[in-house]
Amino acid sequence: MTPIVRQLMQALLLGGALTGLGACGTHGQHNEADAARPGAGAAINTGKGGFNPAPGAAAGDWTSPARDYANSRFSPLDQINRANVGHLRVAWTFSDGALYGHEGAPLVQGDTMYLVSPFPDRAFALDLTKPGPNLKWSFDPKPSPMAIGKACCDPVLRGWSIADGKLIYTLLDDHVVAVDLKTGRQVWRTAMADVANGQTMTMSAFVAGNKVFVGNSGGEMGVAGWIAALDLGTGRELWRAWSTGDDKAVRIGPRFKPFYPQLRGKNLGLTTWPAGMAQHGAGAVWGFISYDPETNLIFYGTSNPGPRVPAQRLGDNLFSSSVFARDAETGEAVWAYQFTPHDEWDYDGVNEMMLLDLPINGRMRKTIVHFDRNTYAYVLDRQTGEVIRANNFAPQTWSTGFDYRTGRPLVNPAMHPLPDKTLDRVCPPDIGQKDWEPPAFSPRTGLVYVGIFNICMKLTNHKASYIAGTPYDGMEMARFSADGPSGGWGAFLAWNPVTGKPAWRIPEQFMVMSGAMATAGDLVFYGTTDGWFRAVDATNGKVLWQQKLASGVVGQPITYLAPDGHQYVAVAAGVGGAAMVQAARPGFPARGSTTYVFSIDGINQGAVSGAAAATPAAAGGGR
Amino acid sequence: MRAAGIIAIAVVSAAAGASVGGWVMASPRVPASGPVSQGAWPLVPMGDVAGAAQPAAALAMLNPRARDPGAVARGRRLFVQMNCAGCHGYDGNGGMGPALTDSYWRYGGTPAQIFRTLYDGRPQGMPAWGHALPPADLWALTAYVQSLGGSIPPAGTPPPVNRGQTRPNAGDNGNAIEGQ
Repeated sequence: MTPIVRQLMQALLLGGALTGLGACGTHGQHNEADAARPGAGAAINTGKGGFNPAPGAAAGDWTSPARDYANSRFSPLDQINRANVGHLRVAWTFSDGALYGHEGAPLVQGDTMYLVSPFPDRAFALDLTKPGPNLKWSFDPKPSPMAIGKACCDPVLRGWSIADGKLIYTLLDDHVVAVDLKTGRQVWRTAMADVANGQTMTMSAFVAGNKVFVGNSGGEMGVAGWIAALDLGTGRELWRAWSTGDDKAVRIGPRFKPFYPQLRGKNLGLTTWPAGMAQHGAGAVWGFISYDPETNLIFYGTSNPGPRVPAQRLGDNLFSSSVFARDAETGEAVWAYQFTPHDEWDYDGVNEMMLLDLPINGRMRKTIVHFDRNTYAYVLDRQTGEVIRANNFAPQTWSTGFDYRTGRPLVNPAMHPLPDKTLDRVCPPDIGQKDWEPPAFSPRTGLVYVGIFNICMKLTNHKASYIAGTPYDGMEMARFSADGPSGGWGAFLAWNPVTGKPAWRIPEQFMVMSGAMATAGDLVFYGTTDGWFRAVDATNGKVLWQQKLASGVVGQPITYLAPDGHQYVAVAAGVGGAAMVQAARPGFPARGSTTYVFSIDGINQGAVSGAAAATPAAAGGGR
Repeated sequence: MRAAGIIAIAVVSAAAGASVGGWVMASPRVPASGPVSQGAWPLVPMGDVAGAAQPAAALAMLNPRARDPGAVARGRRLFVQMNCAGCHGYDGNGGMGPALTDSYWRYGGTPAQIFRTLYDGRPQGMPAWGHALPPADLWALTAYVQSLGGSIPPAGTPPPVNRGQTRPNAGDNGNAIEGQ
């Protein structure tokens, strides 16, 4: 057995042991529909906590932004580990040419990497068996440029997904496309909304079973937020559920059993708003979705209410800044919970729901771990929507505590923004102390790793009128560090969800807006908006390796096994999105469009064996 | 308990919505008043003019509200009320849309070019306001944009002191960026 093959076997065995899936070796042949059946994928659980690894991608692959339905962003690979990560070097790079925020995760299935640029949303397939690597195909969907000016926070794309031989993603101008993995040809394209009225699509399409789930962006544009399910094979829309409106629009029926009484009642999506306001009340759906195959439920959060001026929309404004549990088949709401009732500061509830099984008070509970923009780290019971824990993970001034009896945060009366009155210091600002950037969980440490902020805002509200296609907004802001003019704007945090306390924290001068990734090599990877890409010890946060990249990192790192049997780490460096709130600060990088791929000693066997062009079969044979 | 307040707000916002909706009106293709030659501004070029003999009179057009002392304040009010600030920033430094305070103009920065951008809209998301606002309001908005300091003076007037602030990456200003 050659060392490479041995390493590969070890990785596969490790993956198999962790996932309990014998199917790991059938690389690229996995049937998503089978994986979606209850019981598919025995939970990874160490006693410190775990998760269901379904759909059970091969250990060396990474086929959706979060890698699994549970949103763990944990890889079972350990060739790169604490002992050798110091030798990590650039193996190769690829530029997609688009100078907007690169917020997505590169995907790998088998011998190919799939990338999609931010607007104009071009897709690229890179052959990892060939030197370079070689561009297999590219796909240009040509979305409407009007969408650039309707996207609040840079014309970004937060990810794409692979399923059923297709690459599936949203276009900024409100279409969903499926592209054939082999040919790069469009299989279907579905129009979802009209960009002229302020709707865009920036989220990653999420695939579970035979369905694609997508939602809209535009929480600052007076949209009505929705999520929709499309048929994976044809792109046909199967159902759509709005975040506001009457029970029919929200798909609330007899199965809807929220835990807290304020969420029970008829047509709350209308009656918790002033008359006529719900239809432009946002609750947009632009974050990551998760899925529990055991209950066939999807979980996702909704955006801030619109307009952002709270004086114009008294009431709880359901179901904005909330989480929904919905039946994946029918779209029926099963429960909901509102993180920030009557949000007054733009605290979207869209941040991801991590489906973790955690040892709480001596028994393993099925939970959602959610770091909200409002600075509470929640542990919810994912079967009922009950709040098990709500702890602050960073500084905030808007809330004086949490009432576990009602499930409501207590609001600081000094922090109500009134029109044309200025509040000098509200923490966090509109983007929260954590935005959409997704955390990772390691079952080996029981910790959640998350990029966070350390910022506040000066806020003046102006009354807003609804004018289709323009911002329905009204917040004038200046943001600054919570620690004064020379203070840092961010941190990287390891959080114990069971105790509700930090394990360690790395202060950063700039906001951390990259995704996090944890590996079985006991490493955690993250990037900073000023361009550092770091690998740290998952147990104690010691920085073991770092490199400054050509632009800031707001993408999501991944790791994979290439056809040569070696483990690689990939991340995009292309600052943009909400990180641009720091653009005027010294040291802030220029935009970029480059995906970096790293390996131990920069080995890039595709390039070496490619020089002797007769050996691609051997290089790929290990798979 | 909050019912009275809710109803009061509903009435106010409904009234605001109606007034906005009510501004949809037919406006003439040229400003109804002011010292502007009929038909001049639709001839405004977006870029430079090829061919030395081309008439460039439109580029020399002054803002007909240039001498109206209330125009800038009225333009500022409209800039907030019409949600322009939501894209271009309350300070005009850009955000979702380009900055208006520098000397980088995608579609020209003379008063007539700014007016035309407001009237017709632009392809990357700038709506056309020519059917929602009367020309007098568009000239007031133009006056406000001129007051931000980055506009290009009409042809034939002396250039201002170079501010030295070109922003090729429109939308890179910090605090005007939305936080989705």
